[in-house]
Amino acid sequence: MSSTILAAARPNPVLDLLRRYGVWIAAAGLMILLPKVFSSGAALTTMCLMGIMIVFSLSYNMLLGQTGMLSFGHAVYYGLGGFLAVHAMNTIAGGKLPIPLPVLPLVGGFMGLLFGFIFGAVSTRRAGTAFAMISLGLGELIASLSLILRGFFGGEEGITANRTKMLTLWGVRFGPQIEVYYLIAAWCLVCIAAMFAFTRTPLGRLCNAVRENPERAEFIGYSTQMVRFIAFCVAGFFAGIAGGLAAINFELMNAVNISGGQSGVVLLMAYIGGIGHFAGPILGAILVVLLQVFLSDITGAWMLYFGLIFIGMVMFAPGGLAGLIMLHLPLWRRGTILQVLPHYAAMAVPVLMGAAGLTLLIETAHHQLVKTQTDGPAMHFFRLGFDSNTPLPWLAAALLLGGGLWLGRLYAPRLKAAYGDAAHGVEAAR
Amino acid sequence: MSALALEDVHKTFGVTPIIRGVSLEVGKGERHAIIGPNGAGKSTLFHLISGRFPVSQGRVTLNDEDITGLKPYQINRRGLSRSFQVTNIFPKLTVFENVRCAVLWHLGYRYSFWHNIRKLNDANERAMAILQQIGLADRSQLPAGVLTYAEQRALEIGITIAGGAGVVMLDEPTAGMSRSETAHFVNLIRKVTEGRTLIMVEHDMGVVFDLADRISVLVYGQIIASDTPARIRSNTAVQEAYLGQALEAEH
Repeated sequence: MSSTILAAARPNPVLDLLRRYGVWIAAAGLMILLPKVFSSGAALTTMCLMGIMIVFSLSYNMLLGQTGMLSFGHAVYYGLGGFLAVHAMNTIAGGKLPIPLPVLPLVGGFMGLLFGFIFGAVSTRRAGTAFAMISLGLGELIASLSLILRGFFGGEEGITANRTKMLTLWGVRFGPQIEVYYLIAAWCLVCIAAMFAFTRTPLGRLCNAVRENPERAEFIGYSTQMVRFIAFCVAGFFAGIAGGLAAINFELMNAVNISGGQSGVVLLMAYIGGIGHFAGPILGAILVVLLQVFLSDITGAWMLYFGLIFIGMVMFAPGGLAGLIMLHLPLWRRGTILQVLPHYAAMAVPVLMGAAGLTLLIETAHHQLVKTQTDGPAMHFFRLGFDSNTPLPWLAAALLLGGGLWLGRLYAPRLKAAYGDAAHGVEAAR
Repeated sequence: MSALALEDVHKTFGVTPIIRGVSLEVGKGERHAIIGPNGAGKSTLFHLISGRFPVSQGRVTLNDEDITGLKPYQINRRGLSRSFQVTNIFPKLTVFENVRCAVLWHLGYRYSFWHNIRKLNDANERAMAILQQIGLADRSQLPAGVLTYAEQRALEIGITIAGGAGVVMLDEPTAGMSRSETAHFVNLIRKVTEGRTLIMVEHDMGVVFDLADRISVLVYGQIIASDTPARIRSNTAVQEAYLGQALEAEH
């Protein structure tokens, strides 16, 4: 059906190829070019982390977004994959295994697959809340084991390795970060493509069906337990690959990588990016890594901001970043996107006011609670120096926050109407 | 050889007996209606046959194969498919995807994650053919949740028949429909169940007497009569228990 339509509208094979694979070519081009633009060491490290987290969060979304399984223990497969990869690196460096570094993430992947198989067989017998609780229990079990089994997990220090001591392939030793970046980028692209292809298979579609209506799926011949189980194994495999990449990148794996905290972060990445769209977790991973890297440099209270962003997303944009973008796709198609921009610009004023007020409030409180003892009451906020013991900053913060909220509420209906007009036309909105 | 047979099937919830010894035989290609007053256990009987609830006692056979205690998907794979009284579709998937999901197992794709679904011509063509049969071809790319009630009921039947099951069970297919919609629907049911065994629960006596070859009357968990429409109509026990009021309500 669709193939006949494609065949009819095929004026140029090159154009057709571009239309079909344009996004992938663009992604590959972007990945190649990024280090030329952002060439500093810090930027390179950040982008490596992004690549790893993109694979990790996409693997998580195979469960949450596509099959409707809320897991609180996905770091288990990431961590175990990473630990096995680190051990494999040490074994290879000892000359016992002839595996070149570029295929090492597969070792992590198979570890993730193996444990996805074992734990999936137990946990996917249940769905919904019971599944979430089992995943939480298994996650905590492995996290506490990681501090007990020192031989494999290395206790609190973790296990280190040296990636340059591996077999060289075509003379590349993967010493410099840039070489590791291209390795991660290549794996990232392959994994994205593979996970995207998965959504276009019979099982991938049945995952969606099981998410939508598990009862009905049983009455069209599918065991929902088996669908969940296979999805769980595949998600474990890709999480393991992400872990293997992390092992290569950091040359270190420790208890933090396998902890409940790491499981929480991957949930946040997927959710903030948007679990309803395939690309959502990619956006989420990029944003969260940026926040982790840069926000933690700027403020000690960065976890609080992180949490607030998550709460704000859940409350106001449950579709995540991808959901927000998809909301504007009809406007783009109708050519009415410019209509709403002035309204967004106007809305930016109360939003920035509120954000400034909230940030000032948090920073002053943070200074009072954490730093006054050692640094004294004087503090800086965006190069603005003041005394956190005086009422002035508190008053200013309250005014900004309150004013932002008030103006925002005042303007929100007009923004909504403008969006409605742009999306459906003036007649339809009225 | 019977398509579906029940032998002394019982179902109790706690201590409450709901189905109290039902024996029933439905022949191949037969259109069999189950009628009875509210609370008689018609839907429960459907759930027992299709494996949604386990049978407390007794035996269910499909094409002379014992299916008692099997899971719904196992029963479905053996060729029995059912619809639901309350519309039970995949609301956020497209109409086309709803039907395509329902054909995949029966075309042998099972849990495949190595086939590109767009290139599965047999699945795509079959799904489209089903959509044309149920009159939803022009709605194929819409999310199923936005269809009208009657369209969703049609989709419900489309999903049910898509796998090509030999035995089709419809639970109140025309519930909540207007008269003209019902007439249209009876034709649709007749068309799509051509050459299959049909078992249905239905409250609309017009539909029942129009479609059914045989009718069973279920009252308080027991079948009090099972016969041709003409003889059911003249059966005094049925008259007393149910049909008198039901036929009056029709007028």
